[in-house]
Amino acid sequence: MRELTRSTAVRLAFGYAVLFIISTLLLTGFLWWRTALYLDREIDAVIIADAQAISDRLRDFGLPGAIETINERVGRASDEHAIYLLVDPTLTPIAGNLQAWPLEVGSAPGWHDINLERDGRLHVTRALFGLLPGGYRLLVGRDVQDRVEVRALIVDSLIWASVGASILAVLGGILLRRAILSRLETINRTASAIVQGDLTRRVPTQGSSDEFDQLAHTINAMLGQIERLVEGVRNASNVVAHDLRTPLAELRTRLEALLRTQPSKQVTYDEIQKAISDIDRIVNVFNALLRLAEIDSGVRRAGFRDVDLSVVATELTELYEPLAEDKGIIMNIDVPRAIRVHGDPNLLAQAIGNLVENAIKYTPAGGTVSLRIAVDHADQAEIVISDNGPGIADADKSRVIERFYRGNRGSDAEGIGLGLSVVEAIARLHGGTLSLNDNCPGLVAILTLPRVINANRPHD
Amino acid sequence: MKILLVEDNERVAGFLVKGLREGGHTVDHADNGRDGLFLASSETYDTIIMDRILPGGIEGLAIVEALRKTGNKTPILILSALGEVDDRIRGLRAGGDDYLAKPFAFGELVARLDALVRRARDVGPETDLVVGDLRMDPLSHTVTRAGKPIQLQPREFRLLEFLMRHAGQVVTRTMLLENVWDYHFDPQTNVIDSHVSKLRRKIDSGFNAPLLHTVRGAGYKLATNA
Repeated sequence: MRELTRSTAVRLAFGYAVLFIISTLLLTGFLWWRTALYLDREIDAVIIADAQAISDRLRDFGLPGAIETINERVGRASDEHAIYLLVDPTLTPIAGNLQAWPLEVGSAPGWHDINLERDGRLHVTRALFGLLPGGYRLLVGRDVQDRVEVRALIVDSLIWASVGASILAVLGGILLRRAILSRLETINRTASAIVQGDLTRRVPTQGSSDEFDQLAHTINAMLGQIERLVEGVRNASNVVAHDLRTPLAELRTRLEALLRTQPSKQVTYDEIQKAISDIDRIVNVFNALLRLAEIDSGVRRAGFRDVDLSVVATELTELYEPLAEDKGIIMNIDVPRAIRVHGDPNLLAQAIGNLVENAIKYTPAGGTVSLRIAVDHADQAEIVISDNGPGIADADKSRVIERFYRGNRGSDAEGIGLGLSVVEAIARLHGGTLSLNDNCPGLVAILTLPRVINANRPHD
Repeated sequence: MKILLVEDNERVAGFLVKGLREGGHTVDHADNGRDGLFLASSETYDTIIMDRILPGGIEGLAIVEALRKTGNKTPILILSALGEVDDRIRGLRAGGDDYLAKPFAFGELVARLDALVRRARDVGPETDLVVGDLRMDPLSHTVTRAGKPIQLQPREFRLLEFLMRHAGQVVTRTMLLENVWDYHFDPQTNVIDSHVSKLRRKIDSGFNAPLLHTVRGAGYKLATNA
């Protein structure tokens, strides 16, 4: 029971029912007031007017005048419900359509609701008893049996309507509760499944885009983000363990051998030098992780400004050209001026730099690496870096962007498998995307970023 | 050089003090912020190595800010485990002159200290830079070796200028990337090496004594003797 009162759905349904009943009662009360009570007041007014007319005649023309008026009114067939009786002080009827003074009225002047026999049955009659000068008594009334019956009918209907409305309200409440609960229950079930560890579950939507569907969409978007983050963390910790174990094992072996063999000074120095390189590799992994964490956290957005991509690209080209030259690779550059984005120039340089570096790394001597910046059909800035190296197998394209995945792109090329993850994270930070396509042969990496169109002037 | 080291980690401090003293420097060491601020403001040093997170109620950056407010212009190298660019910017904004993230190579630290002190003493680009028979006029952008003019691209010129301003010192690849190209990320490939060998071909080939030397495991050095 307590569970029931705690349930928001039950409280909502209950509140709904109460509100419904109250509004029904208000409505019926109003109807009652406007119909039954109005009729009653109307009859009273007619009776008073009648009595007033008769007593006026009595005053102006004496008893015969009053009798004449009563007879005239009784004789008028227009109102068969009207009742008149004038009696003398001994209660002997003088005029009117009643045979005798009704016992129920007694001797108290004023309003009386009495039962008079008519057509063989008792009719409720509303009557006004007035004392006239000389001890005469006047009784004026109306047979209200019909109206009483109508009133009873109205009351009955109102009561039944209220009962019906209450039942409907309760039913509605129950239905409302069930509807809410069933929608909530699906969300609840999904959440419980996720708590159990099944992060792939999503809240089903009904396609009605109502509030619950909107909530479901929001929750699903949140779950997607959480899943991606958890997956990233899971992969990261797996791969960190693997990636670090190798250099650590090498380092350990190296130092152990050094301790065991105690070689000449020169060999020792060389070994220590190599040990430091091993450690540098480990530190690089951590640096890349920290960098990713920093990018993912979004704090770098604080330093965003207008950046001219052509300036960034030109400077990077100038940085990497000698390296390409050394490897016998031709670099093609096609960078129009004044394509601007809102972002962090250093991160953008790193993203484009990583892609150029990868392209140079994986392209064999005599190959070509090209860097092109353009505006795509959706009016976004597009940075296209293509090479004619071995490319990436279709199955691996989405995986290489995942943290730490090391694609099978030639065995001599070293890398810590974080380069493309960093590029992707930077793209995402800037509201853009990274996509990898086939260059047949080779790889085309496309970095798409939202363009600043009506900027006044870039800051650099 | 007289160096103040403000560092609370005993092992790092011990290792640095030992290394710097072996390099012929005088080193004072403070292991908390309060002593660090006291020494820094009462003594005169050529350079200060400042850790960021310190016990003693005063944080590294607060000391740097306090010193700069009193007009103390001693070059300060900030040392920290917080190696991200944002921290670097905060450190430099507080008044630090350079920033080095832990873990670092000792050679990198020494190279940066040398550069800091040299920069503080440098009078600017007015005078010709001379290393052996290599001569650079920073104002007219001309370079000659043994009287023969050498044609350099603008970036090669800046690279050589940086090397000449730090002649005799080891200059690391990271320092070159930061100071000549203004990039604050580590490329995975030895992109700097390509630039240096290109420059080396221009200034050393055809001459008897090489001036631009590779220092194994550290970086480069421009000097008349290896």
